[in-house]
Amino acid sequence: MIRLTEEKTKAWLAARGLPVPKGAVANTPDEAAAVVDRFGGGVIKALVATGRRGKAGAVKVVANAAEAKPAAASVLAVQIGEHSVERLYVESKVSIDKEFYLAFAFDGRSPSVVASINGGVDIEEVHRQSPESIIHRPIDSVTGIRFWEALDLWQSAKAPNENLASLAKITVELWQAFRGADALTLELNPLAVTVDKKVSLVGAMMGIDDNALFRQPQWQAESGEQTIGGRKQTRGELTVAEANRTLPGGAVRYTELEGNIGLLVGGGGASLLVHDMILARGGKPANHTDSSPGPITEKLKVMLREILTRPNMAGLLIAYNHLQMARCDVKIEALADALRKTGVDPRKFPIVVRLAGPAEARARELAAEFPGIQYLDDDASLDDAVRLIVEKAGKGGLREASA
Amino acid sequence: MSILINSSTRVLVQGITGFQGRMDTEFSLAYGTKIVCGVTPGRAGEIVHGVPTFNTVRAAIGRHPADASILYVPAPALRDAALEAMEAGIKLLVATTENVPRHDASLIVAEAQKRGVKIVGFNTNGIITPGECKLAGIGGDKPERIYWPGRIGVCSRSGGMSAEISWTLKKAGLGVSTCVSMGGDPITGLMMADYLRLFEADPETDAMVVFGEPGSGHEQGVANAVASGEIRKPVFALIAGVFQENYPRGVSFGHVAAMIADEADTATAKRKMLAKAGVTVVSGLDELAASVRQIMQAPAAMRKA
Repeated sequence: MIRLTEEKTKAWLAARGLPVPKGAVANTPDEAAAVVDRFGGGVIKALVATGRRGKAGAVKVVANAAEAKPAAASVLAVQIGEHSVERLYVESKVSIDKEFYLAFAFDGRSPSVVASINGGVDIEEVHRQSPESIIHRPIDSVTGIRFWEALDLWQSAKAPNENLASLAKITVELWQAFRGADALTLELNPLAVTVDKKVSLVGAMMGIDDNALFRQPQWQAESGEQTIGGRKQTRGELTVAEANRTLPGGAVRYTELEGNIGLLVGGGGASLLVHDMILARGGKPANHTDSSPGPITEKLKVMLREILTRPNMAGLLIAYNHLQMARCDVKIEALADALRKTGVDPRKFPIVVRLAGPAEARARELAAEFPGIQYLDDDASLDDAVRLIVEKAGKGGLREASA
Repeated sequence: MSILINSSTRVLVQGITGFQGRMDTEFSLAYGTKIVCGVTPGRAGEIVHGVPTFNTVRAAIGRHPADASILYVPAPALRDAALEAMEAGIKLLVATTENVPRHDASLIVAEAQKRGVKIVGFNTNGIITPGECKLAGIGGDKPERIYWPGRIGVCSRSGGMSAEISWTLKKAGLGVSTCVSMGGDPITGLMMADYLRLFEADPETDAMVVFGEPGSGHEQGVANAVASGEIRKPVFALIAGVFQENYPRGVSFGHVAAMIADEADTATAKRKMLAKAGVTVVSGLDELAASVRQIMQAPAAMRKA
């Protein structure tokens, strides 16, 4: 999912004619002060694609440019989780009468809508304290949410009569925006009604389906920077990601971990199973890999080079489920290339291979050129392969790489 | 018998002139599958391995009636292709396309539910009833290397693991009634429990094996169906991905996902839930083979838990 920052989400909503407060991006306290001056006061927020900014002290209300500078500087100094604040979003202040909560997301196979009259606060807190005040409904993808359904939603959420019609109208419009953007999540918190009874989308966050970029090219640029489990990608991961982008063929994914057993495993399901079985036997994987169908020899070469040149490695396991379409030999071709380039010697560094299926005979021939590679027999199970590599790696088969 | 497909199933292939469509059609015909017609817009009149191509589904099945359609259609065109097949009256769609946009997948499934259409996938490698019929890539050019006829139903979230499990059963002297690669995309048409209900009703299936992964509510549905007594035949489950729990989770966006996400999403939670419901949960393939053999060698009367 591509998480859009606030200004991108709001620009998208504004372009559809939806009511968002006027705002501008600022990079420095001076720029923020200039915008506040122009707006005659405003709200300074950290421009990071995450919620809980209020709690972290990353939202400040200011009356004028003089107040804006120190406020902007303090927001720029905040750290929210792993996000540091590099830019600010300065918005004109809205005179809020009531704050509601509205979100769209996928719940299993159907989209769903979540509504509450307790907006403007942490919705998880609302959920803990009064779960009954949060109304959660599936949406029929064929019909979408219709005006009368939205009325019923807000009535069930106990919204005041005077706000029902405008809340229902904006809910239908936001559903259309959610679908139109190929969004996976759209959260409005608060969805405000102003003192002059107008709806204003004061808080807005959206996450886009990367699988729909072919028809949403405007967010291609946002899909770059990725983090894995809250950390930045490593040099090796970036190298493989770069190869994945620039070389043709099926997709490869590569995540580095702390262990010492290198893994080239696949496909999706078998790679999970093999990883589990290694841990269950006391082994420690140095990475996880996965790949999708398509010719990937060149990408595998890059990935295997990265795996073989990591420090403190004790072994490599190449294990796939019985292949049906994909060829066995391309994996060994990539391995042979990586062995030649890194100078790793399989007689000293344990390499266990379990590959069965199309072009297996050629794969065995290629592997035979490297004494030491243990290519398991045809009736060996994935369990056998895991047992062997954990045993060999456990014996401290330290690698002597010359490259 | 079997589920969903058998030797008399007549098959349409949407996207038959593409690389994958051509190759799977060749292998499937060789296996005995009755592929009767194909569709690629703008390519009417072409013959692919003896199969005539038409521009539209309606034109194709007007000449060559079909029960099922395999879709080799790229993601941007899938929504229309699936709706076209449903509109023309096809009741079983096998959707190989992966990474289908969520809004499209959701729309196709909602439409299928309204029309009583069964969708296998998205991102399925196919279905095989060994010795009779195979749809899509499953088994490749030598299905008999992996899939042996028998009395175990297999349903896997992973196409590769449907092969590994079936091969493991074959090595243990067992065979498969029907094996379904149900698809690995976040949204699938038929759910895992739906396949188990079909296996339960199939007199030629004695037991079932499922392969699951973290995410999605498939195993919850299976646990419910087994615990309620709806599924009475023995069910074996292999749930992979426990290792993911050792590493920090990706930072979640906003609060919506966290709030409505199913808490039973992790592999460990799924294993516990299934075991509690009465499913035999195994942690590897060797163990799977041994457990299934043990049950299958018991007299039929003792197989019901």
